[in-house]
Amino acid sequence: MINLLTGVLSTALLAGGVLALGALGEVLAERVGVFNLGLEGLFALGGITAIIAVARGASPAVGLLAAVLVGAAFGAVFAGAVVGLRANQTLCGLALTIAGSGLASAVGRPYSGQPARAVFEGVAIPGLSDLPVLGRAVFSQNPLIYVIWIALPLFLHWLLYRTRHGMNLRAVGENPAAADAAGVRVGLLRFGYVVAGAGLAGAAGGTLTLAFVPSWSDGITGGRGWIAVALVIFAGFRPLNAVLGAFLFGLITALGFVGQARNWPVPPAFLSMLPYLGTIACMIIPALFARRTRRRLLAPAALGIPYFRDER
Amino acid sequence: MRLQRVAAIGPWTVVATRVLSVAAALLVGGSVFAFAGYDVPTLAASVVQSSLGSLFGLEDLGLLFSPLILTGLAAAVALRIGLWNIGGEGQFYAGAIAATLAGLNMHGPASLMLPLLALAGFAGGAAWVLVPALARAFLLIDEIITTLLLNFVAVLLVNYLCTGPLRDPAQAVTSASARIPYEISPLLDDLHWGLGVSVALVAIMAGLSAFTRWGFETRLAGANRHAAHYAGIPVRRRLMQVLLLSGGLAGVAGMLEVVGTVHRLQGGISNNYGYLGVMVAVLAGGVPWAVLPAALLMAVILNAGTVLQAYGVSNYEVLALTGLVLLFTAVGERLAYYRPARRPVRAA
Repeated sequence: MINLLTGVLSTALLAGGVLALGALGEVLAERVGVFNLGLEGLFALGGITAIIAVARGASPAVGLLAAVLVGAAFGAVFAGAVVGLRANQTLCGLALTIAGSGLASAVGRPYSGQPARAVFEGVAIPGLSDLPVLGRAVFSQNPLIYVIWIALPLFLHWLLYRTRHGMNLRAVGENPAAADAAGVRVGLLRFGYVVAGAGLAGAAGGTLTLAFVPSWSDGITGGRGWIAVALVIFAGFRPLNAVLGAFLFGLITALGFVGQARNWPVPPAFLSMLPYLGTIACMIIPALFARRTRRRLLAPAALGIPYFRDER
Repeated sequence: MRLQRVAAIGPWTVVATRVLSVAAALLVGGSVFAFAGYDVPTLAASVVQSSLGSLFGLEDLGLLFSPLILTGLAAAVALRIGLWNIGGEGQFYAGAIAATLAGLNMHGPASLMLPLLALAGFAGGAAWVLVPALARAFLLIDEIITTLLLNFVAVLLVNYLCTGPLRDPAQAVTSASARIPYEISPLLDDLHWGLGVSVALVAIMAGLSAFTRWGFETRLAGANRHAAHYAGIPVRRRLMQVLLLSGGLAGVAGMLEVVGTVHRLQGGISNNYGYLGVMVAVLAGGVPWAVLPAALLMAVILNAGTVLQAYGVSNYEVLALTGLVLLFTAVGERLAYYRPARRPVRAA
């Protein structure tokens, strides 16, 4: 029982951590009004970048940094198309997903199926790591999880809701014309936060291949990018809710793994379906009970709509 | 030079933009290939030669063309009412599963069974999109994510069926179902009448869309949902009908593939047709008849992936190239609305 709890919790933190990073990145993009459906592709690109970096002798931290930079670079192409040229966000997002997944698999062929050369190692925190369950599941993990689960969400919450800059960037997502009139640089903020969000999505991919799995194979992202996009809606576009949701999905994923490892009398295929079906359930069930209320109102009003100054 | 944005563009501008966008994407993609050390002119020549230069190649192309027409039509139908059905892949598999189950368990003359299997495929595809459709129509839940996530579920389900309950014990190595005892009569050697069915369905959908009240109502609901509602059109019912029809068409594609081409249910038969169908629909701008040229283009690109394997190019490079085509199409769609300003615009 203790082992089961420890296993579920530690897997949930890693699997959910990947989703949390992606969801936080998507929160940033959507808060400035850009719907980035390219997360799945960015996950793949970040994942393969990190694998290649460590295969060439880089440390895992440098590998993760490379994943962030590649994610941001592709995010800049996406942002150039949807913010600069105001192209259709749905189309460009799908294009990024398809091109990113294809490119990652093409570049990653020589690395397919091999374990990562270097991975994030766990660090036992003196004292705390001796606690039952939590000691091994939380306080002996790699230090990245504290950044993902505590530092980053708190920082983003502070940025979005406690600073002037955060108010401006939310205004850009709610009413870009008003923000523009108030002197906020709409295009610049949109571009910047889409790129920053894409960087976080790249980091999610790097975390997937250097801490969670840790190896590269085709289709390793397995829809996690899409689940992260769905999580943002589920979380009402708020960073703290997004990480809570990510933890829930981490638990669902972990449950599937544990079930397979312990030979539960359910075919593994059905256990693997849990995260996808769970995501759909989490989109539908709240809406069933709260029709046309709070949750829908929380979506940034200008989400998905390109801003033309001459249409004000 | 100053640019000005115009409110509307003509149909030929749209066509010209599409062609230019695709050409630009292929040019950029080709440059990347050249940069990576491939001999691009040779590759291009071999693609054209092997897909268009022989009857055998044309037949291969036709086998890719037919499912792309239907998955493209499926996505295009949804696009007309402003919905994104990204779940063509899952609906394709659901249709294939339903047709396989019916084909393996029901017996009768082929003339009766084939329409029945097509119906089963349609029902399977429609059933697969039922929950996203209900969620979209009644709870306003974004259909992009729900339809897409079900693709992963469908892939897992097919793999489970082919390695478990439906596995053919006679086949030792591959995991696939038993052979379905019905065949679609051939057009050429391997190319079957599924292509004819696909083209006929395009014609039917084009007719429905252009000449019927139903088609008008769906187009109006796609253009402006509130205006349509105000005009007394049952928007919610149209949304449901369109999504179920869309899923059903993708399901028929799955049925034709499994009954006509592969003859067994097995993993990977969808060959990304569902995702590529979305691209076909986008290239076609949601217009049913335009699905035909768009699907042909995608078939050539997909076929290139097979041809180029001899040169060390994998399907993934081709997939990345299709992503590039989509990106350029999206950008071109917007740029088409800009013209050089006729009169000098006074600086503010």
